[in-house]
Amino acid sequence: MKKGVAGTMIVGFALLVGAVMMARAARVGDRAPDFTATDSNGKAHKLSDYTGKYVVLEWTNRGCPYTQKHYNSGNMQKLQKEWTGRGVIWLTVVSSAPGKQGYVAAADENAYVKEVHAAPTAVLLDPTGTLGHLYDAKTTPHMYVVNPQGTLIYNGAIDDRPTTDVSDVNGAKNYVSLALDEAMAGKAVSAPATRPYGCSVKYPD
Amino acid sequence: MWCLWRNIAPLFVACLFSAPARPAHAQAASAASTHAEIELIAEQSVPAPGEPFWVGLLFTIDPGWHIYWRNPGDSGEPPKVQWQLPRGFRAGFFEWPTPIRLGSGSVVDYGYQGRVLLMAPITVPAGARAKTIADIAADVKYIVCSEICIPGKAHLTLLLPDSGNTAAQSGDSRELFRQTRERLARPSPANWKTSVVSDKDHFIVTVHGMPPPQSVTFFPLRPGVIENSAPQVLESTGGGFRLTLKKSDQYTSYPLFRGILVLGSGRGIQISAMILPGQA
Repeated sequence: MKKGVAGTMIVGFALLVGAVMMARAARVGDRAPDFTATDSNGKAHKLSDYTGKYVVLEWTNRGCPYTQKHYNSGNMQKLQKEWTGRGVIWLTVVSSAPGKQGYVAAADENAYVKEVHAAPTAVLLDPTGTLGHLYDAKTTPHMYVVNPQGTLIYNGAIDDRPTTDVSDVNGAKNYVSLALDEAMAGKAVSAPATRPYGCSVKYPD
Repeated sequence: MWCLWRNIAPLFVACLFSAPARPAHAQAASAASTHAEIELIAEQSVPAPGEPFWVGLLFTIDPGWHIYWRNPGDSGEPPKVQWQLPRGFRAGFFEWPTPIRLGSGSVVDYGYQGRVLLMAPITVPAGARAKTIADIAADVKYIVCSEICIPGKAHLTLLLPDSGNTAAQSGDSRELFRQTRERLARPSPANWKTSVVSDKDHFIVTVHGMPPPQSVTFFPLRPGVIENSAPQVLESTGGGFRLTLKKSDQYTSYPLFRGILVLGSGRGIQISAMILPGQA
């Protein structure tokens, strides 16, 4: 009898936790969660201030071999240049906690951006993981696209080759470009949600 | 060579102090930084006529590190192999032992720690000379992770049992294949009735035909179906149980719900059911 009560309580608690913690964070078709975050130059960025523009969110960790695949090949920088050149706001996000792989101080990040010729609109520093958890970012890279109305139109992988091999960049289907191209042409996004691939985001314990 | 077996052969602890001596068959693996040793081993020395010849990638993984299941979960990727086979030989798919859940918090993966054998059947043409099986080789790409991840590759040639080189090769490999078969999920019992209903945010898996288990863990066969880090809520029913699983943010729609259920600490059981629409 006692056992039964305890069991019920555990199930009840799990349900409660489930309901509170596990609302689907960033579902395609829903309004993208609004946020304010500070970049590596100390400037604040509020998502809703970019209404009227497409916004790309890119989770990164420079120590992660999956991220390195896209930076060592120049693929990520090329995408950043191409899309910011077409008016897209590209926000790179670092959610690594202090002491964990990929954590970076502002000055160091600015030097790195220069060194690798990265070209995002800004790099948002999120050492508490608040923004990462808001979007439920799982991996580096993990990509999101928000349309000018503020609706999430893509959540997932950067492309369809879930490996660390630089040789897999050429010929891959890039889901971010696909979503932006289709949306800008007034079409429905054909692959709006895919499994992101990469290293786990190094959130605080 | 003995160093590969340090985890199972305490007699060879001396090898810990002579680690730089790397075996030729793992030469492509980059020294000690890979955190996993891999060998390509065979169950038998000679193919039995008309039966598949089983080989396997044996991973011996450093404590605290892991590799990934066929569905890696939220991060990582499963090992991939490119077989190099003699003419007429054909390789089948890997058999993946039931994985464990790895990680906590908002990123949860499925994989293996310690030692795991990924076994695959090789079809050997009738009349093939026994000697040619020694030409079976594999190029393997994998990623091994703890808090951080390190990709690895290796070119492996086949180690036959009874060749006397290592502890495992002197008879232990047959035992490894036998133990691995015990770790493979089995088909669901004939009396089970399994249904899966989809509502707005959840899948509700109902199994009828057994006493309610103490605990159940579900492992989805493909990514992007369930939210891996969400609690799996178990409820007893009259003749079985109901498991509520949160949908992945990446879930679009698939007709089939497939995966492995692990009851208690027991063996995995395969389930496969059409997803039925429920109340929104």
